[in-house]
Amino acid sequence: MIKEIARNLFNFIFLVLLQVVLLNHVEINGLFNPYLYVLFILLLPFETPKWLLLVTAFLLGLSVDWFSQSLGIHAFASVAMAYVRPHLLDFLAPRDGYDTGTKPNSEFMGLSWFFRYALILVLIHHFLLFFIQVFTFYQFFETLLRAILSSAFTLTLIVLSQLFTLKR
Amino acid sequence: MQNLLKFLYTYSFLILFLILEGVSIFLMVENNNFQRASYLQIAQTVTGKFYEQADNIKVYFSLRANNEILAKENIDLRNKLASFRKIIHEKKDSVIDTTYKQRYVYFSAKIINNTVSKQFNYITLNKGARDGVKLDMAVLSPKGIVGVVSGVSESFSTVLPVLNRNFKVSAKLRKSSFFGSLTWGGVSSETCILNDIPHHVQVHLGDTIVTTGYSGIFPEGVPIGVVKKAELKDGNFYTIQVKLTTDFRGLDYVTLVGDLKKQEREVLEKKMEQKADHD
Repeated sequence: MIKEIARNLFNFIFLVLLQVVLLNHVEINGLFNPYLYVLFILLLPFETPKWLLLVTAFLLGLSVDWFSQSLGIHAFASVAMAYVRPHLLDFLAPRDGYDTGTKPNSEFMGLSWFFRYALILVLIHHFLLFFIQVFTFYQFFETLLRAILSSAFTLTLIVLSQLFTLKR
Repeated sequence: MQNLLKFLYTYSFLILFLILEGVSIFLMVENNNFQRASYLQIAQTVTGKFYEQADNIKVYFSLRANNEILAKENIDLRNKLASFRKIIHEKKDSVIDTTYKQRYVYFSAKIINNTVSKQFNYITLNKGARDGVKLDMAVLSPKGIVGVVSGVSESFSTVLPVLNRNFKVSAKLRKSSFFGSLTWGGVSSETCILNDIPHHVQVHLGDTIVTTGYSGIFPEGVPIGVVKKAELKDGNFYTIQVKLTTDFRGLDYVTLVGDLKKQEREVLEKKMEQKADHD
């Protein structure tokens, strides 16, 4: 239990630092911005209490906000994503439920299950994020394109990170 | 009572969700770009220190390029100095104009944080109120405009750059002096958009766009960019795509410009407005 908390705390700090030091500065054509920090919410154990899920997501978003000078935006998108997560897990559950001691990652659930799971949550997060950032439906399709391309970029990084941990 | 508790328990997840989203929205509204200054006071001291550390490492990678830019600027300035000297020597007999005073002050600052990928980008500088930075000072790079100082704390300041949806400046074609308003448009870190140039003006690709100095923030004639594409919208006004001369991704050092006569000018303009209101 303690080990689990320590690992997640490390994940939290590592992903926030990676986001604000490196990934916030990655930009291709003004269209691709990866937001890999959401991986933290994806990888929390199945047994995480729902309230804790929301609170950690809020703190995660707020930390990224703090360093991106965009107070509230990432927090909003992250909390929304965390809210959807339990519903999505119910929806994607295998017939006999999730085994205890397993986690929602590709190691336990397989890459195709994990990809569907990540795809839906990342899309929700990025759509909210990009539309709140511009706060208008003016140039709707441009923002839409930006959200889709960035989601693809983030998903690629997420899948790569999974392959990397699998090998190890 | 029991029903109420039961209700609260059943929907606790939803209620917590709504509370947290409410807090997020509150934070967004509270800290939107018009009221940022107070938040920056607290945030900058923490994040400013952090970015300063990170930047200490990054600066080494761009030393060579920066040296080249500085050397070029030096030569430029020397040339200008030489031509001024000539003017002074030639006009030795003229009366010395004692009403003349320096109009602008310049000082340099280093960028310690910079984003180009968002819709509302900001730049953080390593100089603040202690060094004489004030709100609404112009920020320039050796190649052209960068933005306007939008927040100042004791030792740091933030800049609202051209690459921000809230940025707006009046700009003109250098050749014909017709002016319009320039905004970013949010598409790429290399282009922005100039509107309101009437259709009868000749606009050529490659024409230089410069500041007008009407706003009292930027000195007149600072380069902004060159015309990349011009098309008529509604038949009356051009929408001109401008390629920025400043490379926002490679920025390291910037020049801050303070207008010494800004107050005098504002007082005069306000007086006129009041007079107009009375009439």
